[in-house]
Amino acid sequence: MAKLTRREFLLLGVAAGATAAVGVVVPLAVTARDTVGAGDQAGALVGVFSPKRIASLADLEVGVPVAFDYPNSGQTNYLVKLAAPVATGQGPNGDLVAFSRICTHMGCVIDQFDAATETLGPCPCHFTTFDFAKDGGVVLGQATQNLPRVLLNIDGDDVQATGVMRLIYGYNNTLLDVASVGSSA
Amino acid sequence: MTQASPASVPLPPPDATRRIICCEYCPVACGYQVYSWPVDRAGGPAAADNAFGVDFPVAPLSGRWISQNMHTVTNVDGKLSHVVIIPDADIGAVNVGGTHSVRGGALAQKLYTPQGPTSDRYQFPMLNIRGDFVPIPWEVATELVARLSQHTLDNYGELAWGMKIYSYQFFENTFAASKLALKEIGTPNFSPHHAPAEGDDTPGLSDVGIDAFSASFEDDKAADVLFIAGSDPYETKTVRFTTWQAPGEATIIYVDPRRTFTAAYAESRGGLHLQLLPGTDTALYSAIAREIIAQGWEDTSFIRDHTASRAELDAEGKWRRKMFGGTFDEMREYLFSQQDFSLEGVEQATGVPADKVRRAAELMTGGGAAERPKTTILIEKGVYWSHNYENTAAIGNLALVTGSTGREGRAVSRMGGHQRGGVKAAGYPLDKSPHEFEGHKLEMDTERWFAEGNTRFRWIVGQNWIGAMGASHALADAAARLTSMGPPVVSPDPDRAFDALARRMDEGGTVIVHQEIYPNDSVQYADIILAAGAWGEDTYARANAERRIRLYEKIADPPGQAMSDWKIFAAVGRAMGFSGFDWADTNEIFEESGPRSAGSRKDYAALVEKAQTDGIRGHDLLKSFGNTGIQAPIGIDASGNLTETPRLHADLKFKSDSGKANFILADWEAVKRRNEILGPIGDELWVTNGRVNELWNNLSDYVRREIATARWPMNWLEISPADASARGIESGDLVSIESDNVLDQLGNVTSGSFTAAAYVSDIVPDGVTFTYFLYPGQPANTVVSGDSSLQPLNLRYNFKLGKGRVRKIGTTDLASRMSFAPRNLTPA
Repeated sequence: MAKLTRREFLLLGVAAGATAAVGVVVPLAVTARDTVGAGDQAGALVGVFSPKRIASLADLEVGVPVAFDYPNSGQTNYLVKLAAPVATGQGPNGDLVAFSRICTHMGCVIDQFDAATETLGPCPCHFTTFDFAKDGGVVLGQATQNLPRVLLNIDGDDVQATGVMRLIYGYNNTLLDVASVGSSA
Repeated sequence: MTQASPASVPLPPPDATRRIICCEYCPVACGYQVYSWPVDRAGGPAAADNAFGVDFPVAPLSGRWISQNMHTVTNVDGKLSHVVIIPDADIGAVNVGGTHSVRGGALAQKLYTPQGPTSDRYQFPMLNIRGDFVPIPWEVATELVARLSQHTLDNYGELAWGMKIYSYQFFENTFAASKLALKEIGTPNFSPHHAPAEGDDTPGLSDVGIDAFSASFEDDKAADVLFIAGSDPYETKTVRFTTWQAPGEATIIYVDPRRTFTAAYAESRGGLHLQLLPGTDTALYSAIAREIIAQGWEDTSFIRDHTASRAELDAEGKWRRKMFGGTFDEMREYLFSQQDFSLEGVEQATGVPADKVRRAAELMTGGGAAERPKTTILIEKGVYWSHNYENTAAIGNLALVTGSTGREGRAVSRMGGHQRGGVKAAGYPLDKSPHEFEGHKLEMDTERWFAEGNTRFRWIVGQNWIGAMGASHALADAAARLTSMGPPVVSPDPDRAFDALARRMDEGGTVIVHQEIYPNDSVQYADIILAAGAWGEDTYARANAERRIRLYEKIADPPGQAMSDWKIFAAVGRAMGFSGFDWADTNEIFEESGPRSAGSRKDYAALVEKAQTDGIRGHDLLKSFGNTGIQAPIGIDASGNLTETPRLHADLKFKSDSGKANFILADWEAVKRRNEILGPIGDELWVTNGRVNELWNNLSDYVRREIATARWPMNWLEISPADASARGIESGDLVSIESDNVLDQLGNVTSGSFTAAAYVSDIVPDGVTFTYFLYPGQPANTVVSGDSSLQPLNLRYNFKLGKGRVRKIGTTDLASRMSFAPRNLTPA
């Protein structure tokens, strides 16, 4: 496990005590409200799930997003290797980040990632743009919270998703229905 | 299940109390549903188990998702309750489908919470005793304000008694305040939050004869061409842009010195960005009008049938219209007499290339095509707070040339800065004002009057007064000087406190009463603080920028002993011995104020009349229209049904003595002379200012909202890469902005400065910077002149024309935690 904040480390430590079967995305723990990282304006709501391999570390290219679903199918995210380390970055160089690309304004999926500015958006619906280098915070737009951040773990060449911080659009609860959907790669 | 989990937002149970309210902030005024219920329970994700009647998770664009910022816990009707404020997905207007801005989407965070960031709300009236604000009983506060007011009136007359109050914070409060200040006291020392004097903010457009809020949002969608100047609608009237402007088919012509999101969006979709130099609007609009006429593209039939003749102009009674009014032929002659309005001269004068001026003229008129496009012109503060009269006149002329008024998709209108909640119990006593232009009375410049020491008692209501005015450092100096005279207040005893403050007045000083909800930069000069209630803490009515009136219900309790504004005005009115201040609730004020709204764009007299006829409360009748509301002026038909007015001037009658529209010959030479005074000197840059998407006004809510402070931890200064490089500045550096060439309220040269984080961006051109206009502790108006005599026709400040030397004074840690990414990326 590399470059997790102390809080994330503790969270995952707690989760490890409730480990479920590998290969199925299962909610392991939820956390109390806290503040982690820049722009985490409304407290971190974290769901910790069983790990899912989402990419090969060696294959990642700077500024080229890798799409993956997590924790449910249809809950789409981008994993990006940034040009430089960031406060919330993970991996050997602290430059790996992953965020949901479901807009936290009204739930539209955003495809557009701009490598030069490391931003996601503008959202096709109401034009919110998010900064991947600043914890998924809003650069300009109407969303009232940062993008949900996917917690990462590096195991050899495997980049794994292990949890989601903050509510995903549409849900009132980070763990809602998660146990019934999806399986890890 | 959700109730037990900390990783959730509680859902309202089916029996949650439901109320309606509109957003507190921008003039669009999206409708919201408010759900409240006891804290010891919650609804569930199944449709049958929540008040929405929908299954969770909800679908994209459903308008039913509760983000973390849409929920809080506070007291409602004396009980600790969950409160969810969510956009109204069932609304029939405005934010159709339940969309919202980032501002409205976090309204729940506005509410008072004892342990949260809003916990520093004022809860008691307070008296300044040797620099400490100590709580006092309401009875003492009311008595002091009344006695000090009477002392002022008895010894110095009503011109020495001043009130500076928001113009927008609900009909009921503005009516109660004006009943005291204008009707009973009868002072001309009365001004709104945003200007030194009462009066028209768009006088040029008014002299043309067009109401500044004539359009409906439907016009934006129906238009073929939208000409938008002086405000970025995506940033500051968000849902109007995302729901009514962007989804339409209109080609957007966007006018702004900055290449904002809307500028980039317009260009990416076949429109234009006219990137003018600050202070040159008059020339740009006149050049477009001239080119239209030169090509023969003007709306000939509209001009022939609906603009005034020379004889009609000569018969006008209004002095400004007589002074500057012109016929079409006279205006054409004027336009063609100015080199700066020609295609050859316009780029030099305004910075906008001739080919873009030509293209704008073509787009707005169809360039001679058989079918003329529907063109709507929308303006806001960048236009009228640059050069007030001339710019708004030039916009009016452009509207007449293109026939842009009174018809679907054809309008000229302000987009609005705030919502419209003003109704006055009495007219402004213009005859008492000491200020005039060439023998014509003007509304008092209350800031000049104050700085001259003529105001002995001043009541500031609901604003960060000093930072909001021009030359704010000089105004702060005046406030400090005038409030430090006489003996200090040393006791909460009402007699001893009165004696000390009355003596200050008698020695030439000023007593300041501040009616507020939070501490701000101006409150430090207060002698008495009156703890006020706020949005959502009483039931009120207000209109939005398309004159749509809605009911704003009480959804939460005010903190401690804080009182609604109208109750405070009423208590002081009674203490001063005036009658007619014994209202039981806001509905009584609403009904009393109805007749005073008659004839205005916000005319709701018919609604009150119908409610009384039907034997129901006026507020209840208004509530029956829900968040959709009803568009004023409200009428009543032969069957007794209420009628509404989607747009003004639909009969193509205008607000002049003749009923015709008038061209106004805006004096470009006067503008140029003013620009020479106001413009950068030496190595100064333009320092223009405004709002941005995530923030609102004086930030009384927003500095207490994590989503805003995370985005903008301090004020910032957009500066171009070249200007930054020349000064060794990088994004995140701390810079100072200073000018020694600021004119104060008396016209004297003074200095001003503030600091900000540099935001290096090509959103601004070389030579021009941009900053937030009223960031607490870092107010941009310190480098804006406060001399209203520069605009002698209407006594307004040139708020948008600040200037200053910019230099790096240090670094910050912001580069690691604040986004400096471009704010004008467009969707593919």
